[in-house]
Amino acid sequence: MALTLSVHPVTELKFADATKLDGGVLTVDREALRQLLLEDRRLDDVILEIVNPGESARVGIVFDVIEPRAKEPGTGAGDFPGVLGPYQIAGDGETHVLRGSAVTVVDPLGIPGAGGKSLEMSGGPGQESPYGVLHHLVIVPKLAGEVERHAALNATRLASLKASAYLGGTAIGQHSASEEVFDLSDLDSADRKELPNVAYIAQIHGHQRVVEADEHILYGSNTEGMMPTPLGPTEWLDGGVLTSYWNMQVETYFYQNHPIILELIHRHQAKELNFVGTVATVAASDEVDRDRTSMMAAQQAKWALGANGVVLTKYGGGAPHADMGKTAQQCEAIGLKTTVQVSDMAGDRRAESALLFDHVEVDAIVYVGGNDVSWPMNPVERIISSNDQIAGAFAAVETVQASAVAGVTNQQGISRIRVNVY
Amino acid sequence: MTPVAKMVGANRVIQGRGIVHPLGDASLSAAEEKELRQELVHRALEALETDITSE
Amino acid sequence: MKVVHYMNQFFGGLGGEEVAGTDLQVKDEPIGPGRLLEQVLGGDSKVIKTLICGDNYAAENLTELSQEVIKVIREAGAELFVAGPSFEAGRYGVAAAGLCAAVQAELGIPVVTGMAVENPGVDLYRSEVYIVDSGQNVGAMREVLTKMSAIAQKLAADGGESIGNPTDEGYIPQGVLRDEFVEKTAAERLVDMVLAKTKGDPYTSELTVTSFTPPPAPAAIVDMSKARIAIVTDGGLVPKGNPDDISPIASTNWGSYDISRLDDLEGEDYQVQHRGFDTRFVEQDPDRLVPVDVLREMEKSGQVGKIHDVFLSTSGLANPIANSRRLGREMAEELKNDGVDAVILTST
Repeated sequence: MALTLSVHPVTELKFADATKLDGGVLTVDREALRQLLLEDRRLDDVILEIVNPGESARVGIVFDVIEPRAKEPGTGAGDFPGVLGPYQIAGDGETHVLRGSAVTVVDPLGIPGAGGKSLEMSGGPGQESPYGVLHHLVIVPKLAGEVERHAALNATRLASLKASAYLGGTAIGQHSASEEVFDLSDLDSADRKELPNVAYIAQIHGHQRVVEADEHILYGSNTEGMMPTPLGPTEWLDGGVLTSYWNMQVETYFYQNHPIILELIHRHQAKELNFVGTVATVAASDEVDRDRTSMMAAQQAKWALGANGVVLTKYGGGAPHADMGKTAQQCEAIGLKTTVQVSDMAGDRRAESALLFDHVEVDAIVYVGGNDVSWPMNPVERIISSNDQIAGAFAAVETVQASAVAGVTNQQGISRIRVNVY
Repeated sequence: MTPVAKMVGANRVIQGRGIVHPLGDASLSAAEEKELRQELVHRALEALETDITSE
Repeated sequence: MKVVHYMNQFFGGLGGEEVAGTDLQVKDEPIGPGRLLEQVLGGDSKVIKTLICGDNYAAENLTELSQEVIKVIREAGAELFVAGPSFEAGRYGVAAAGLCAAVQAELGIPVVTGMAVENPGVDLYRSEVYIVDSGQNVGAMREVLTKMSAIAQKLAADGGESIGNPTDEGYIPQGVLRDEFVEKTAAERLVDMVLAKTKGDPYTSELTVTSFTPPPAPAAIVDMSKARIAIVTDGGLVPKGNPDDISPIASTNWGSYDISRLDDLEGEDYQVQHRGFDTRFVEQDPDRLVPVDVLREMEKSGQVGKIHDVFLSTSGLANPIANSRRLGREMAEELKNDGVDAVILTST
C-alpha cells in the first residue's frame, strides 16, 4: 500500500464564474457549490465566504477544518470512503491536494461560551495557529426548520466533505507541483532489523460524549462499541478517519496532514526507526470498557504490529487523558516503551493539577500547555458565524485564549506550545 | 472516573455505570435501571460499613 | 541590603547533637557560612543578625520559633532572610524552609534557602519558597551560597520576575507551569522521546507524575439504620436556573440543595453545570447522578437512618487540586456540623 500525494499549491482563493484551479489561483463558482450542497434537503441555505491569511477576520464556532483533496479516478478508493465513497481501503493510489487552502465549516448548533473554538486570521493567534496561513473557503450551513441534532450535524459533516472533494476535483488532470510518496513496504528489508519498531496508538473519540447514530468517524462508523483497530498510516492521511462532532482541539485537516504520522513516516524513511503501524482506539465512558480497550490496544501494538516503542495521544479532555495513561501503563507492562501527549489540565498552573494518572512508568510526557497563552485583540473587521448571538460574543472579544483558537493547542501533534516546570 | 478517584487516594470506591450516568444506564428499561441503581447504592452503603485499614 | 541569616547549632559553631536542644541564639554579626554569604552577596550587603538554633528545639517548636525569628527580623528592619543551606540535614532543612515560608508570609521580604533534593524540607515547602538544590556535598558551600544569593538579589530587585528556569538558576522546581512556544512541534518531541526511550538513551519528560498521599480512611458506620447519609456530587447537578452560579468548568464554589420533601428527582427541575461529559442522560433523570429515589426508599424501609435534607454539588471538571481540596474541606465542615455520618459522593 502506497499513497502518492500530488501537491497543488494554492496561493489565491476567490469567487468567480467557474470553479477551477489555474496556476496557484483557485476560483470558486459560489452558486454552483451552493446548489451542490443544497441537494441535502436538511439545509435551507449555505452561506459561502472566503477569508485569507492576515485578514482581520474571526470565524466560528468551528465545526471542522478540511484540506480540499480529490482522489485521482481509478487509483485506490474514492473520497472519504464509507461516507461519500464506497467501502474501499483509504490510503492507496494518488490523491490531489490543494495545499494552502482549507474548507472551514461553522457549526450550525454552536453555542457561545460553551468552549468552542474560532478560526483567527490576524494578530498573534493568526500567526501562531497553523490555520492562519491558509486560504479558507468558509461554509455556514443554515438548517431547514426543525432539524434534529443528529441530522443537523450529519448534514454539516456531509457538506464539509462534499465541498472538500468538489474543490479538490479542480486538480484532477492537472500537473502537480510536487509529489509526496508514502510507502512503508520496506519494513522487512534487511538493513532495518536493528531499528526500533515504533507504533502509534491514537484515540479518535471519547465516549463521555455520546455519539450520534449517524455520526461518521472511522470509515463512516460512529465508533460505538469499537475495539482498538489497527490502521495503516496512510489510511489516516487519506480520508479514513474524521473528527467526531466533539472536536476539542482536533480537526480533520490534521488527520489528513497528521503531524505524528508524518513525523514517524519521515523518520522511517530516514532509517531512524521502523514505523510499524497505528492503532485507532476510543476512550471509554465505562470503567470496564476502559480496562478492556487499554489492554487490547497495548496487546495489538505488541503482537499485531510488533512494536517495541509506542507514541500515544488522547482525544478530548479528562476521561480520555486517564484512558491514555492507562493504555500507556498497559503498554509498559508488556515491555513497550511509551511516550504520551497530554493537553493542559492545570487551571491553576500547578504541576499537581496537570495529570490524571500517576503511573510512574509513564515517564515520557509531552505536555502541550496553553492555559497561560492569550493575546489582546483589537476588534476584527469581519465576523463569520452561525447566528447573531455568537457574532455579538465574537465582536466583544478583547482577549483570545490559546485554547479557544483552532490549531494552537491542537492535540494531533502540531502544537508548538510546551510547558516548563518552574 | 474511578482511576482518578484511586489516584488521589479515595478509600471507598464503587465503580459506577459510566461517566454519562454513574448511577444509571439509559440502555436499560426503567425497572432494570432502578434495580441497577439500588445495587450500586447498596454497595456504597456496604463499603461505608466496612472497616478500611489499608489502601 | 540588610540580611538575617539562620543556621543550626552545627553550622553556627555551637556543637553537634549534644546541643541540639539549644533554643534561639541571636548574634549581631555573620558567623561561619554567613561570612561567605556576605561576600557572595557583595555590594553593601551586611549580615546584621545571625540566628542559631538547635535542630531538636526547632523541630519541636517551629511555630514559636517562627514568631521569635519574625520578631528579630522585623525589629532589625532586615530586607532579606537567608536560611541554611542545610544539605541533607532533615530537621535543619524542615526548620529552614518552614521559617522562610513563615517570614515570607508574615513580612513579605525576600527569603531563600538551600538543601539537597532528598531533604524532607523540600516536599513540604518547595511550592512556597525558593530552595536551591545544594546537593549533598557540604564542600560546595560557596557555589550553593552563590546561587542562593543570585535568587535573593532577583527577588529583591523585581519580586522574582527575572528568575529563570530551575535548571539555569539552580533551584528545585516549585511545580509552577509556564508555557513557551518552541521550535519543535509536539509530534517531533514525541518521536524524539520515544526513540530515546526505546534505545535506552536519556530523555527528559516535560512533566512528571505527582504521587498523592491517601487521606486516612474514616471509621466504618456501625449501624446504618441510625446513620444520616448525605449525597454529594461533583457532576454539576443544580436546580434549573443555577441559583449559585456554579461554573461548568473549574468551579470555585458549591451549592446546597433541598431534597427533604422529594422522593425522586425530575429532569425538568434540574440542569447540569459540567462541560466534561454528555449531560443529556442526567438531565433526563437526575437520579442517575444523585440517587434520591433509591436512597429515599432505603430510608423508608429503615435500611438507612436518614437522608440528609440537602445534597451538595459542584463541578469537578478540570478543577485544580488546591481548589478541589478547599471545596471538599468546606463541604465536609458543613456536613459534619449538620450531624451527617457518611457521604455518598457521585462523580462523573
